[in-house]
Amino acid sequence: MLQAGSAVRGLCKAIRPSAPIVKAADKAMAAHALPATLVLSRSQSNKPVVADNRVEVFVDDIPVMVEPGTTVLQAAAMAGVEIPRFCYHERLSVAGNCRMCLVEVEKAAKPVAACAMPVMKGWRIKTNSEMTRKAREGVMEFLLINHPLDCPICDQGGECDLQDQSMAFGSDRTRFLDPKRAVEDKNLGPLVKTIMTRCIHCTRCVRFASEVAGVEDLGTTGRGNSMEIGTYVEKMLLSELSGNVIDLCPVGALTSKPYSFSARPWELRRTDSIDVFDALGSNITVNHRTGEVLRILPKTNEDINEEWLADKARFACDGLKRQRLVAPMVKDSKGDLRPCEWEDALIVAATALQEANGSVAAVAGGQADAEALTALRDLVYRLGGQHVCTEEVFPDNGSGTDLRSNYLLNSSIAGMEEADLVVFIGTNPRYVVLVLPCMSPTPGAWCWCCLVCHQPQHLGDSSATVEQLCAGTHAFSSKLAAAKRPMIIVGQALLGQSQGGVLYAKICQLANKLRGSVEPSWRVLNVLHRVASQVAALDLGYKAGVAAVRQQKPKVLFLLGADEGAITRSDLPADTTVIYQGSHGDAGAAMADIVLPGATYTEKTATYVNTEGRAQTTLAAITPPGYAREDWKIIRAISEVLLCVFNVVAHEEPMNVMLQSVGAARVDGSAVLRPALLQLEDYYMTDVVSRASPTMAKCIAAVKKEKSNRYHSK
Amino acid sequence: MAFFGLDRVSRFFNLIKENGGFRQSLYKLYRQNDLKSGTLVGTDKLGNKYYENNEYFLGRNRWVIYSPSLGTDFDGSAVSPAWFGWLHYKTDIPPTQKEHVQYSYIDTTPSPNPTGTNKAYIPYTTGKPKIQAWVPPTRS
Repeated sequence: MLQAGSAVRGLCKAIRPSAPIVKAADKAMAAHALPATLVLSRSQSNKPVVADNRVEVFVDDIPVMVEPGTTVLQAAAMAGVEIPRFCYHERLSVAGNCRMCLVEVEKAAKPVAACAMPVMKGWRIKTNSEMTRKAREGVMEFLLINHPLDCPICDQGGECDLQDQSMAFGSDRTRFLDPKRAVEDKNLGPLVKTIMTRCIHCTRCVRFASEVAGVEDLGTTGRGNSMEIGTYVEKMLLSELSGNVIDLCPVGALTSKPYSFSARPWELRRTDSIDVFDALGSNITVNHRTGEVLRILPKTNEDINEEWLADKARFACDGLKRQRLVAPMVKDSKGDLRPCEWEDALIVAATALQEANGSVAAVAGGQADAEALTALRDLVYRLGGQHVCTEEVFPDNGSGTDLRSNYLLNSSIAGMEEADLVVFIGTNPRYVVLVLPCMSPTPGAWCWCCLVCHQPQHLGDSSATVEQLCAGTHAFSSKLAAAKRPMIIVGQALLGQSQGGVLYAKICQLANKLRGSVEPSWRVLNVLHRVASQVAALDLGYKAGVAAVRQQKPKVLFLLGADEGAITRSDLPADTTVIYQGSHGDAGAAMADIVLPGATYTEKTATYVNTEGRAQTTLAAITPPGYAREDWKIIRAISEVLLCVFNVVAHEEPMNVMLQSVGAARVDGSAVLRPALLQLEDYYMTDVVSRASPTMAKCIAAVKKEKSNRYHSK
Repeated sequence: MAFFGLDRVSRFFNLIKENGGFRQSLYKLYRQNDLKSGTLVGTDKLGNKYYENNEYFLGRNRWVIYSPSLGTDFDGSAVSPAWFGWLHYKTDIPPTQKEHVQYSYIDTTPSPNPTGTNKAYIPYTTGKPKIQAWVPPTRS
């Protein structure tokens, strides 16, 4: 599939201009991202004033210089004063409907809503005055009219904005003694639990769904006391980013269904880590208690995932507790795997490796970490093996993977914001790297982007389209040539093709041609990987694809978490010993003769490199279950039994091979470029952890069932 | 004698004598970590001997020397119920002076402590295991 963002509904939504205040706000935030700005403005009186259009306002008598158009709330934040709010969120448009941010402005007749009111020159904002205090108490009293008093049984308890702010800013009594209203709960699917009586109508979830997730499923019905948030007709929230509404909800109206009633926030221990379900490397916080991962929350990283997280990364953590390998196993005389001691398994594995006499190969799966990859590579090379491969395919003609820029998302994820034209080839960014579409471009770039992406074009389904694009004969080519900062993002459906190499080389040539007309620092060619380990593996000198292993027919094959069936028993001679090392029992363990239990990403401190080449480290939150151990330790232990303990050697610098000319190569234009993940139900189970997760199974069942819903929009 | 502390020497030799000579004393030191002299108050069915010497302070003045049949593998559960009360100062009247009251519902033959044996009590969890292990497919 070749397309200019046709599947990128999220991208189109994200770049749609929201209320003008937001754009102004963005600018203002950018302006005072540097703390120096504030310092400068404070000591301004004895320094020559730089000619700028900033205006001075006073927050609780602290003078602040701000860009015109800055809201009162942002100006207060610059002065270090936090104004309470429910509906306002930095990454969403401004709604201004909760009224919690009312503050007094001197000489104004009424308190103003700080989140929506731009400041004027010389305003004196009073966030601690009697009027502000009374306004907040009044608003809180109104908000609590219909809010149930069920905090003791509410999952939000302890991390609830309403709870905190009513303690900090609310009154200690109410004048409303009438019975509270009740609202029917909505069914939003297996991930988001709704207790709509608790809703305070901040509409953050509605704005997130339409602005970031790109689904217009949520909305409000009714008005006044009978206002309700919901889907109007009974339907599921069909988004792969739905979990984020749980974080956004300031009260306990939207909570996590899998996590419901399982823990309180003060019981949890939190460990910052990296997500490995896709190649994005989202930053996460693993919440765990008594050696058990209970939930996973996003951690803000402006360059990668901002503050969002995809549903698989968030909810597949229950798969970490199922189908685990908890003890080493060796095949007995009957051919059944039997649990055994580590000593036995290591000796059997080492003996097999020794007797292979150099006929050893290794295949690494999608969640292998860089440390284990290094150790395995060194072990195989030390034993005289030639082939260390990854399951994921990447073309090796031309300079192949010798040049790092050939297999990276060169423009970087944050750099997507600056692109004015994005062409996705052989990938569906919505399901491959989910959070990518949420990256909203800066106000300056969206106009161009809208032209292409607002009405996204589907350019074609076959490799012939790629050829036309490369040759410049496609109707879209003129737009591509005219783009100031074009991005071509190549995905697995193209790279994994039999002719992927030729097509990729042609796209490289196209990108090189386009680079002539764009600014020198801008990188046109980008590769979007599917799995977390791929970039690290290629960096460490792994070969992409298992073709070499198929040819070699090794005596011992070492699978490091390789479960996607790239190589099966039928590809190997009958006498090949297969050693599987990994965390879950799946296809790899089922075909193995020796099983060595490894750790998942929550159980080891390990390095992963994301698709833009950023190395990040996971931190061990809990210990591996049973006899499972960290992966690199297992490989090192084998090497110790083999008496060939290796030092970690820095891999050689990749050869600087120039791009080969492929002009003469012919391409069969009929090859279909269709990404593997096209539907939402394809998304949920893509690796061993998510395949073991009951929550992900429920999601697939719910999405499939939703298709028979007569309100389901095709 | 007492002034020079020489009475301790004679007391030492008396202790050795009462405990049956050097050899026996060394064995008792090995078995009980202690050498004591006292009057034998009584013996129970198992052969445990109960002694008393009120020159020792309270808490150390009554003791039991377990039956030689138990060897070195003895513990407090070998004390018979009849002597338990006297040994633990529940009463000052040993069962040799007043017959121990027997109740039909109380087992008079104490059972040894099963710690370290197959019959030892091992608590087990009634909750679901946190980790569900993979069970490899079998061919048979």
